[in-house]
Amino acid sequence: MTELSSAAVRALDKAGAQFGDVRIEDRAGFVVRIANEQVQSVNEIHRRGWGLRAFMDGAWGYASGTSWDSAAVVEAARTAVAIARGGAASGVPKSKLRRMPSSRKTDKPRIKIEPRDVSAEEKVAAAMEACRAQRRDGIANTNASYNESDWRFELANTWSAHVRWREVRVRVAGQAVAREGDHREAAYEFRDGTAGWELVKALDLGEFGRRVAGEAVEMLAAEKPPAGLLTVVTDPGVSGVLAHEVMGHASEGDEIVKSRSFLTHQIGKKVGSSLVTMYDDGTYPGAHGSIPFDAEGTPAHKTTVIERGIYRGFLHSLETSAALGARPTGNGRAQDFGRRVWVRMTNTYFGPGKDRREEILEDTKSGVLTKSWISGMEDPVGGAFQAVTQSGFRIQKGEVAGRVRGMTLTGSALSILKSVDRVSREIHLDGGSCGKGEEDYVPVAAGGPYMRCKIVVGGG
Amino acid sequence: MDGLDLAPEAVRRARAEGADAAEAYALTFHSRSVYIEDDVPKVAESRSETGLGLRVAQGKRVAFSSTTLAASEDLASVARGVVSALKGVPDDPDFSGFPTEAGKGEVGGTWDAATAGMDVSGLLESAKAFTDAATEPKETSVPKALVRIQEYQFRIANSNGIDASHRGTLVFAYLTAKAGSKEKFGEGIAKALSTSIRGIDFAALGTTVARRAAETLRARAFKGKLAGIAVLDPMDLGEMFLGAVGGAVNGEDVHKGRSPWAGKIGQEVASIGVTIRDRPRMPSGLASGVADDEGNATRDRTLVEAGILKAFIADRKHAALIQVPAGNGFRRAVATVEGAYARPAETEPSNLVVEPGRRSLDDLLRDVESGVYVEKFASPEVNPFSGAFAMEVRNATLIVKGELGDHVKVALLTGNFYDGLKKVVGVGRDVAANHAFLTAPGCAYVPPMAFEGFELVGQA
Repeated sequence: MTELSSAAVRALDKAGAQFGDVRIEDRAGFVVRIANEQVQSVNEIHRRGWGLRAFMDGAWGYASGTSWDSAAVVEAARTAVAIARGGAASGVPKSKLRRMPSSRKTDKPRIKIEPRDVSAEEKVAAAMEACRAQRRDGIANTNASYNESDWRFELANTWSAHVRWREVRVRVAGQAVAREGDHREAAYEFRDGTAGWELVKALDLGEFGRRVAGEAVEMLAAEKPPAGLLTVVTDPGVSGVLAHEVMGHASEGDEIVKSRSFLTHQIGKKVGSSLVTMYDDGTYPGAHGSIPFDAEGTPAHKTTVIERGIYRGFLHSLETSAALGARPTGNGRAQDFGRRVWVRMTNTYFGPGKDRREEILEDTKSGVLTKSWISGMEDPVGGAFQAVTQSGFRIQKGEVAGRVRGMTLTGSALSILKSVDRVSREIHLDGGSCGKGEEDYVPVAAGGPYMRCKIVVGGG
Repeated sequence: MDGLDLAPEAVRRARAEGADAAEAYALTFHSRSVYIEDDVPKVAESRSETGLGLRVAQGKRVAFSSTTLAASEDLASVARGVVSALKGVPDDPDFSGFPTEAGKGEVGGTWDAATAGMDVSGLLESAKAFTDAATEPKETSVPKALVRIQEYQFRIANSNGIDASHRGTLVFAYLTAKAGSKEKFGEGIAKALSTSIRGIDFAALGTTVARRAAETLRARAFKGKLAGIAVLDPMDLGEMFLGAVGGAVNGEDVHKGRSPWAGKIGQEVASIGVTIRDRPRMPSGLASGVADDEGNATRDRTLVEAGILKAFIADRKHAALIQVPAGNGFRRAVATVEGAYARPAETEPSNLVVEPGRRSLDDLLRDVESGVYVEKFASPEVNPFSGAFAMEVRNATLIVKGELGDHVKVALLTGNFYDGLKKVVGVGRDVAANHAFLTAPGCAYVPPMAFEGFELVGQA
């Protein structure tokens, strides 16, 4: 244990915390941004800091800082305990934490090529290649970026746990804007994961860039999507938005404890067709949301949320697992050392079915096929679904017909899942960043198979 | 030497390491937050952070590096590292040096002593005022709410002799209420942003979220389509303005061919009743300051006057490229400044203000024969390139002959925002402030507005 973490744990104990922990983080990043084949920025990022928290009779106090002076850490421990005491005195119902076996482990990331061993020139060249390949008739603006993060964590608590781990992520993205007169359309694509430079090496960056530009140009001729309650074949990205935004957020244990989830009383009940199975899996190899430990030091876990249409379980932190009589699932996560722990997802996805994508489309008389997601929004209370797609296609008589512009999908998640009647065998996960409400972003992934269901569709 | 004093020292060290020119941005902030869960203050935080962003140039090569100032060696390390990184960076032919003329003085109301001096117990009083009002109806509870105050100060220095500083206070509240019973819930959400804790009426917000929760509980799925007048509440409308107009007037987007308003100075882009200004000198503005985050002197300017496009905004680099005054290079966001030192300044609006009209919201509603009043969307996102949107409504009420009627859900408001700006039929008088998302600079000050040409789409 480092001097700082030892001092923090001793100070939390001395100040009288019923439980306390300290997270020390060292976050490095490197970002390259290219536009119109010119370097816009090359940024190195380095953030170091620590966050302590204290638990007193159901209330939490947090204090964080960036000074490496152990006196500052000791003072912060006193502050955290005082804040927690104040909260406990103001009427917070008493609660307990689920005590985990004290772990003393160090985890090393399974990456093949350390990004820090690759030169800045090579990283700039890779982003430039992805940007340059977007150049073609009809394209008004080309963009590409390379982003790496290398985060190191040390966590110690008053239960004698001490774990260290590293999370390395890499992301390549491209965005092209096509123009015809006053009409502009954009296309966006990315690849990411918990991986090293090997993720970039495995990409054909020229093909990647050409594909993004081709999508943008095709979008200029896309039609307005049909509107109303339609048969929709969701692509893996949009399936993932449904898994993550509605079923995932509503399965977070803190929402259940507060009865702020429409799934609060659904354990053992039917929430989807028998073709629907869903997981949250922080151990998924290479996925963007994979973590060795959560921000409380609990090892990552694979949780079955829905099994053949039956709702099975929630995601937990130390506190919600105690409140609901379950085991912690490694879902207590924090944006960074300065922010609190919430129950958060990792990699959330629907499991595969037995159909091939082509079989599903051939079997669909009319509807739409979605193509890539842009965003989604949670509604754990109401169970409503919203996903915005980049584009899509009409399906007519079993064939993929004309392209349609971006559309928004909405509806009751349970109605949508109960209408699922075909599920593809191929699945894919996309990475992203997930907020709770409007803040507290953590890296996640979401995905699933192609799924045929009924959803309300509209588009501008 | 405290954190802010390290800005000129960082410039000196970068020059000593071999940079031709350098710019340093030092930021320090202290936050206090209270999280309400199930009507009580469950978690409270105290957070401090100091960091530095250093941009250096050698000829036309530019690199940026940032670090928390955790220990004395961090300054030397970041200066050495960023100058070394220049070797791997190609020329930026558009780089035109760092600012030579700084803004001086201060804008009134950006820093509030009472807010800066408030501790966690003071915040608890504000949170209690909200919770008491929100839980006044028996069936309503507060599952989740956040109130945060932040005091910050930054200093920017460069090798041209610029030395500017700014201090401010920020208050951010994200508030929810839940109505209903075991199986059926409705949720109301509200946000508030201000430079002063006294600028937010927490009791009134409690009443608002309780009403929204009750209305959502009673809402029914909307059937069919409705093409009438859409009256939009200022909070989410502000986010739409930042996403669409914020991009359309952005000098970087204009230069790169992404802006739909490029080449349209002097042309009609909105109805005659719409005037939009960028107001960095607005007293008590969340994004106000005499200097932007590059040190450039700021100035208020009219972007759209009576529907006619008048001007674009830009940071120093893009100001030179499109021949407009600089003053819109921003890094800091308005709900929190965290992380602002870790990104270089980019072109962003300051306070994007839609000139209010003289009519109350009730007046706007009374004029509507048939339409919908939307207070909250799932996510108010507009495609910034095309203007298209389709947004799920979360708090929406039908308007019939000037009266509010049924509350509706499971429906999308669809349309094109740029087209909608040309069909504004009413501008209200009561302005609200909102931001786009956690780390995005820019603040919208927008009144409620009535639009023709949007369509509400529900189930068939």
